[in-house]
Amino acid sequence: MLNRYYRVQAGPEGYLPPAAASMGVMLPEKGEALVEGIIVSEEEAMQKIAEKIVNAKNPVFFPGPNILWAWNDSVLEKAYAVNDLVQSSGARVIPMPDYRPKYPMINPEVEINPNHPNLTIWHNHIDVCVFVGVHCHYANIALKIIRGGTDCYTIAICGEAGHEDAMISLRDVSIDTLRRLNDVIKSTGEGLK
Amino acid sequence: MNKGLVKISPCFEDVMPQEYKELVEKGSYGQDYGVADLGSFKELIEEHPLCAGCGLALSMRLILASLPNPESTIIVGSTGCSALAFSQVALHNIHSLFGNQNAVATGLKRALKLRFPDEIKDVVVIAGDGATADIGLDMVMQSWFRRENITTIMLDNEAYANTGGQESGMTAEKAVLNMAPKGKNFPKVNLADVAQVAGCAYVATCNPAKSRVLEKAVKRAILAAREIGPTYVQIYAPCPTNYKLKPDEVLATVKNREKEGTYPTGEFISAKAQELFESLEGGSK
Amino acid sequence: MIDQKIVDPQHLFFEADREKRFITGSEAVKEAIKRANVDMAISYPITPQSESMHLVGDLFAEGYLKEYFRGENEFAVMSEVTGAAMAGVRVFTATGGPGTLRAFEMFPTWVGARLPIVCAFLTRGVNSPLTIQPDTIEMAFMLDTGMLMLHAEDAQDLYDMLLKAFIIAEQTDVHIPIGVYADGFFVTHTRETIEVAPEDDKLPGYNPYSSPVPVMDMVNAPVRQMRDPFVMKSNFISYATHASWQQEVLAAGERARKHIDYYLNGLLEVENEKADILIMTSGTAVSQSREAIALAREEGINVGLVKLKSIRPFPTEEIKALTENTKAIIVPEFNRVGWLAREIKSVVKDSDKVMGGPRVFGGMTMPVELILDEIRRCVS
Repeated sequence: MLNRYYRVQAGPEGYLPPAAASMGVMLPEKGEALVEGIIVSEEEAMQKIAEKIVNAKNPVFFPGPNILWAWNDSVLEKAYAVNDLVQSSGARVIPMPDYRPKYPMINPEVEINPNHPNLTIWHNHIDVCVFVGVHCHYANIALKIIRGGTDCYTIAICGEAGHEDAMISLRDVSIDTLRRLNDVIKSTGEGLK
Repeated sequence: MNKGLVKISPCFEDVMPQEYKELVEKGSYGQDYGVADLGSFKELIEEHPLCAGCGLALSMRLILASLPNPESTIIVGSTGCSALAFSQVALHNIHSLFGNQNAVATGLKRALKLRFPDEIKDVVVIAGDGATADIGLDMVMQSWFRRENITTIMLDNEAYANTGGQESGMTAEKAVLNMAPKGKNFPKVNLADVAQVAGCAYVATCNPAKSRVLEKAVKRAILAAREIGPTYVQIYAPCPTNYKLKPDEVLATVKNREKEGTYPTGEFISAKAQELFESLEGGSK
Repeated sequence: MIDQKIVDPQHLFFEADREKRFITGSEAVKEAIKRANVDMAISYPITPQSESMHLVGDLFAEGYLKEYFRGENEFAVMSEVTGAAMAGVRVFTATGGPGTLRAFEMFPTWVGARLPIVCAFLTRGVNSPLTIQPDTIEMAFMLDTGMLMLHAEDAQDLYDMLLKAFIIAEQTDVHIPIGVYADGFFVTHTRETIEVAPEDDKLPGYNPYSSPVPVMDMVNAPVRQMRDPFVMKSNFISYATHASWQQEVLAAGERARKHIDYYLNGLLEVENEKADILIMTSGTAVSQSREAIALAREEGINVGLVKLKSIRPFPTEEIKALTENTKAIIVPEFNRVGWLAREIKSVVKDSDKVMGGPRVFGGMTMPVELILDEIRRCVS
């Protein structure tokens, strides 16, 4: 079962792709990050994120409940820092306001849901997406479904231990990390002009 | 309450779907709404997958509109039709397993007391008749024996509806349902009386046809559970699908059962609860 | 509450001075919980587990825990623990044998709900006929619940594994329950010298807001949140969600490997790994095997020992690598079904070289000679 050569790449990977962790992909340690299943430095991952976003046709940020709702004092500053990333990226924002299996159905034009994130990606033709502020369990569920059924390139900006099921993942992301990433995105964008 | 829980981060306000904006602007958190205000505020539940005419669906709307402090209420449910609707409810709520709701609520309430000793955290169990009077009866009664500060609300549709209409302990004697092909051969369980002797400070039986009575029972049960000990509310909420009622016959059935005395309504108020209600309600009763 | 100093887990586990205590396994449970900064413990009597939870009750009375009570049966206790964990506190309980089976429905439920509950399983036989005697058969049932499983050889292991289990279980990337298993009576009711950290030190508290799922407290977002909703409409989307959820829970168990590796210094321990014959086992069968290996050595037979500490996750790759050139693997067990031999057979390249047994059960002890006979048979 364990496959040391398993790479986490854009799909569609198939009917039921495995969790990357079950294929031997390990989460990075502090100061490190993941790119397509390989552990790299945080700087290298930031550069890759910037390139993917800057070159995307339709990059979209998916902010989750942890930053959409101002439930504690630190949320607002983080939300503004994420919003700066959005502005520098020229990306759209489609929120994930909660995780419920929504009845009767979601409107894929304006929201994304972890139980069927592929609907929003297909509907909006999203080629690069960024998860931020989504609880880790729900992010992983959604990231696997996206990899299984879409060709979208997934990036996870995580305040905890990171996500093997995303194609690029940062861990322990703080306001400072978000600002540094913003600088990298801005300078990468300028280099293109 | 945590007001930020229903405040959208300003930079994302413009992208939030309409229904969430409404939840913030017109929700019942921190407001003094009741069933008389239904239609003028954003309810805690709107969409749900329950059947047309469902007695549970109506009762859930009424219960949720009656919560004294929705912003500080955590609900524990159980497996059954109501659990299908609870995923849409705009409060923290738990579905664990079939029948263990009062045990889960016990752990939850005690833990919340540890984490928030000076704040209101109302733990309200809302489960069906099978969950409450059959499979979960030991844990329901044990939570009463232990005098846990939780409210137990039974949505009594007199059957296991979600599994296709089987007899439950709350089914009326002689009723023919699945697993009772020759009719139920023992009487409907009188859980309201059991609740009284098991230590509940307040017990009420009511129905959604009298929404103001239901509202008062739910409010009293929650306030008494907060201050005194366990409370029990039993709501007759018929299942049109399994009892072959037309949606527009459900409330008539409820009224008729009350009138003919086969589903009486009423209250038991302990001395302590009486004292509490008098101080809270200003002797209005 | 008793005033204790919060210390870094690293310090408590590896750096703090340790003092010697001559105590039983049940008392080792008490010593672990005393230092674990547990908020709440819930108990229910069953032999041979009861004494450990009496002692945890004493800790509550002394002011080391904030809350403690006796539940009404094991299924209810595991449900009460669920409510407490969903409210965001650190919680502990224990059971064993028939209690484990009575509570069984809750274990995969804990896993699916991502609850970092630590439960001690002080094992015994299951009916019928009624037995209260040592047996590890309940572990066979627990293998596929999704819970992590650590198996203590002795009271020292029990103390260390329990304390470390809280820290491993609560990692955000793991955040699933851990069962710490010790053989009832053999460990719980016998006395040995173990080393413990200073009793005025304790672990840092649990941070519920690092959880991979929202806490049920009406404080953290989102407000519209059910733990855990049905995803059972009859369509592919619902099935795919449930499948992805299950995969994520499996993945959490995989992620635990590196934390167990670090805190327990490996999922297994090896002595004399190049020997042609390896004894591979867990729990008190390890202690019996050490004796047998010493006797075999006197007869000039070279036998190695592999002590499995983590049963879930199972040290698959480690065992594969270790047994490449081994001629015979002996798996002594305290149960009828030989669940450990089955596990080992499923991972070694040539499963014919795994000798299932010797096995004893129903409360029988395992005479060292029984293992020695097996070693002699392997030689001939």
